This record gives sequence, structure tokens and C-alpha cells, in this order.
Amino acid sequence: MLNYNSPINNQINFNEITVKELSPVMKLNLRGKKREFFTTVGKQLDMILPTEANTSSSSSKLTSIWLSPDEWMIVSNENIEKDTNKYPLEESLYNSISKTNLGAVVDVTDQIVLFELEGSKIYELFSSGSPFNFNDFKEKKGSTTQTLLNNIDVTIHNKGENLVNLFVRRSFSEHLYSWINDSASRL
Amino acid sequence: MFLINCPYCGERDQHEFKAGGEAHIERPKQPTELSDDEWAEYLFMRKNIKGVQFERWNHAHGCRKWFNMVRDTSNDQIKLIYKMGEKPPSE
Repeated sequence: MLNYNSPINNQINFNEITVKELSPVMKLNLRGKKREFFTTVGKQLDMILPTEANTSSSSSKLTSIWLSPDEWMIVSNENIEKDTNKYPLEESLYNSISKTNLGAVVDVTDQIVLFELEGSKIYELFSSGSPFNFNDFKEKKGSTTQTLLNNIDVTIHNKGENLVNLFVRRSFSEHLYSWINDSASRL
Repeated sequence: MFLINCPYCGERDQHEFKAGGEAHIERPKQPTELSDDEWAEYLFMRKNIKGVQFERWNHAHGCRKWFNMVRDTSNDQIKLIYKMGEKPPSE
């Protein structure tokens, strides 16, 4: 088992909002824009990368999140084995994409922390610290956005009614988590 | 506070963006043949006018893509937004 420190030491548990860390979850960053890139990734992931802005696509094992017109984040839906830093999917994508200069594959599993927020007041919490308009976002399952929350870059993924995944850089995660804890206590 | 329509992500708050200075400044093809004054003109001199200006902007806290904007600097009114590589509209 690799030495892995969680950025949080307690689960946030209020009446209408709960927050916990989902870990270990594989996260890969994919970049590319050539046509062969899309066909190769489609075959490897058994899933088409979303080309529409602020959306995601899912298969039984993976979710791909649109980050920009030539950038996506691939996230495993289930927890993974954390005995090693190597993932078969990363290796096969690296061999077929990075090595052939079709694009770039970067493992960001340990760079990015994933929080799961659940409850009827999560969008009130976001509104207290983000300039993003969540009105359309919360109605559409699968929608994603990259924005600021308490001046920290975050990626938010709508998983269902009152359930979102929030991705944040590890170095900001502890600070963001304590801000969420503080803000959620005042809602 | 005003909204900027990112050509990739849609309408977002200005705080997600960073201004990148004047747009459509072409790098001289042979910098070694320029005098110091001409090189300084390219490197440092910007119009910085009061009125309609062509600017580069970056959606720094979103898709991280650069794009061009035509903005009236006197009242922050955005006249036009277009992608990098597209030709600027005639003034």
C-alpha cells in the first residue's frame, strides 16, 4: 500500500449537506484534437468523448468530463486498487496516444482530490462562493463546469439530483474543505 | 461585474478571465534586422486607447483557451468575441 494522506480528517455531516472524499479513484487527463485521437480513445475506453461544452459521458466503468475543446478528464466510477501507481488503462492509452504523438495522457490521480457533496443545500453552498450560474447546471444530470469556488479552481460534475462530484487540486483541497465545512454550518 | 461570452464554454463571470493585452500584434519575421527602437516598438508599445480596442483574453479559470475580444474601454461594452486565428473585423 502506498503512503496516502487524506486532506480531510472528518466527514462533513449537516442536516442538508454531507461531504466526503472518494478515494482511491483513478483520474487521467487526456489531450488531443486529431481525428485518429478520437477513434483510438473511443476504442480503448469503449466510450465517445463528449465534444459539447460542459458535458460528460459515462460507461459502466468510466466517466469522461469535458474540460476544453481538446482536453478531457477520465474518472473511474468505482474505487480502484491502490497497491500500485500503474493502471492498465493509463498504460494502454499512453502507448497508443502519447507514444504515437496523437495527443497526451497524464495520470492526475494523486494531483486531484475528489469530494462527493450530497444534499438539498449544495447549490446554496456553491452560490455563496462561486460566480457561476448553477440554474441550468443543476437541472441537467451529467453537466460539468470548471469555475471558481472560494477563489479556488474547481471542476464540478452533476451526478444526479442533489449529488455532485467536486474535483480540486490536492494543494488547495484542505483549505477548500475547511471553507466548505464553515460555510455549510451557516446555511 | 460583467459577463463574458467564452466562445467555448458560454457566458461566464469576468472573474474567471484574465486580460492578455492588445491583439493582432505580429512578431517581426527577422528580429535581427531591426533597430533597437523598432524592436522596442514591437515589444513594449501598445495603443491603450480610450474607445474600441482589440484585445486578447484567456478563460483562465475555465477552459484555459485564448480568444479575441473587441471592447470599448470607456464603458466596458463588449462589441464582439471571436476565436484565435480568425480574422479581425474591419474597424
